[in-house]
Amino acid sequence: MAESGEEVDVLVQRVVKDISNAFKRNPNIDEIGVIPCPEARYNRSPIVLLENKLGVESWCIKFLLPYVHNKLLLYRQRKHWLDREALVDITSTLLLLNPDFTTAWNVRKELLQCGALSPEKDLYLGQLALTKFPKSPETWIHRRWVLQLILRQASAMSHKSPNNDGGAEQAECGRSQELSEHLSRTLHQEMKVCSDAAGRYPSNYNAWSHRIWVLQHMAQGNIKVFHDELSSTRLWVSVHVSDHSGFHYRQFLIKELMTQAAARPSQCVSSMATSNGEVSAAESVTLEQKQLSFTSVLQLFHQEMELCSDLMQSFPGHEALWSHRRHIFYLCQQGRSQLQGLCSRSMEDVESDHLTDGDPDPPLILHHSCAHPVQSVNGQRHTGEPMEVDGFSLSDPHNRKRLKRGVLVPNLPTLPSEHSFISSVLEELHHPEHRRFALAYRKWLDTVGDLQS
Amino acid sequence: MKLYSLSVLHKGATKANLLKAAYDLSSFNFFQRSSLQEFMTFTSALIVERSSQGSRASIKEQEYMCHVYVRNDNLSAVVIADIEYPQRVCFTLLDKVLEEFSRQVDSIDWPTGKPETINYKALDIYLSKYQNPREADAMTKVQAELDETKVILHHTMESLLERGEKLDDLVAKSEHLGTQSKAFYKTIVSCSEIHNLPS
Repeated sequence: MAESGEEVDVLVQRVVKDISNAFKRNPNIDEIGVIPCPEARYNRSPIVLLENKLGVESWCIKFLLPYVHNKLLLYRQRKHWLDREALVDITSTLLLLNPDFTTAWNVRKELLQCGALSPEKDLYLGQLALTKFPKSPETWIHRRWVLQLILRQASAMSHKSPNNDGGAEQAECGRSQELSEHLSRTLHQEMKVCSDAAGRYPSNYNAWSHRIWVLQHMAQGNIKVFHDELSSTRLWVSVHVSDHSGFHYRQFLIKELMTQAAARPSQCVSSMATSNGEVSAAESVTLEQKQLSFTSVLQLFHQEMELCSDLMQSFPGHEALWSHRRHIFYLCQQGRSQLQGLCSRSMEDVESDHLTDGDPDPPLILHHSCAHPVQSVNGQRHTGEPMEVDGFSLSDPHNRKRLKRGVLVPNLPTLPSEHSFISSVLEELHHPEHRRFALAYRKWLDTVGDLQS
Repeated sequence: MKLYSLSVLHKGATKANLLKAAYDLSSFNFFQRSSLQEFMTFTSALIVERSSQGSRASIKEQEYMCHVYVRNDNLSAVVIADIEYPQRVCFTLLDKVLEEFSRQVDSIDWPTGKPETINYKALDIYLSKYQNPREADAMTKVQAELDETKVILHHTMESLLERGEKLDDLVAKSEHLGTQSKAFYKTIVSCSEIHNLPS
């Protein structure tokens, strides 16, 4: 096969061209790969397009990679000129074969900045590279840079001072809606890329931490996205019980939901309400709403613990499940004390202004089940009248379950309930590893208990 | 937690005869799937050949677990899973599949049947259903403990081989593997040798 310098030159240029033509011919390519093939087959391109998959025969890589690599370095050293189109082609080829080559991503950053390359196209290249190299740190890092660019562009567009006449304002409005749709599409696409990469490589820390980053930067305060993520990763963790990264992601989601419920409860309730009915944006933040959004978060703790116990029972002996349990228990303790703070405040309020029925011993009654938080907001009773919340105290075990309609305050894990869980595990199961983890958890609980008392 | 292949074979005097197989290789790179499928066939046959009649064994090979059940009548089944997948569920599945297979396919066809001619279509269904063991197997929670003492555990494929035998040679000689798969095997081996170099 072509070994002399010139022949390699011709061959490689043809291959680079073949790759860019393949993308032109099929814009839906969704996976790349290397086809094991030690020898070249005469007169056939090493680039294979099958369905939506792009394959490179392995024999040509040893010619291709050093060639495009050198060419790009010469360009960087200003020894060799390349036009923009050639740069796009060369960096694509290079990054599909070796996505951790930072210089190539940097060249693409410059192309993006001068507008010669669209951010979407660049994200697409990264997505393809991740199908072959799902961990590639440089690809994830570059992605975050591109996403930040998109966010900056979006905020620049939305902050453009609107013209004074009404028509322009309307156009402005349409544009901002288009913009937010575009951002939410980008967000969903990122979630898809992350879950794909997580499926291709076990414990793919890079993919999961990217997913967290995306939520922090693109979905800040958007409760619905966090809830959706929580439900969409549920099945995934159920069939990846030893993958700590997935559980860590859920811990992050629950913690964020808890923080957001404490900080912006009205938004919390109304965003949950939008799926069921309309809630006026100017809804006043009542303490009751605060409690409502907060108890719904506590409900999450309850569900997560149930899931955890369930999985432990089905699949004994996985440490990731035990460490997840620890973290949820810890978060739950935090949540509980925050809720208690809220409740005692509501108690004072109720006693000072609203206590009309003269009940001397206000029991724990909340007027709605968690599943329908909307109605409480939409119902007639919320206009100034005293609510049915007469105050409640979590610490009182008798009052805990006295609810008028539905269950509101879930059974949260407590130190005693966790201890009895451990005892039941130790009694029922003889899986040696599982027992060891259970004993370690018991020890940990003891240190937590010591800290609390 | 993943099942990659499920196959039914007949253990002959020297060779194992593949009767039917199902594969789920969706989690692998598209261009490696055909080679991996050949390797799974090759491995399943090799394991059955090297396991004795009326035995159950689990063989760990890198990040895969191969579970095999060879019945006293030489009808055998192999499931290849990842390490996370519960072993007991695998053996329950193997029992079930062989039970059903032996009822539906006449034993005259076992020694010579081919995947194309054997009429048994449930393997694909089982393979996809058992991807989520909690849904497929009601017993998951009960933990009906499999008598683990009866399952032989091998920590590598090599321990199945006879003295002086080498996996590389078996790969080179195998009729289950095409040239592309053999090339693929060589690249894997050379990669893992590089990784295992003492630093």
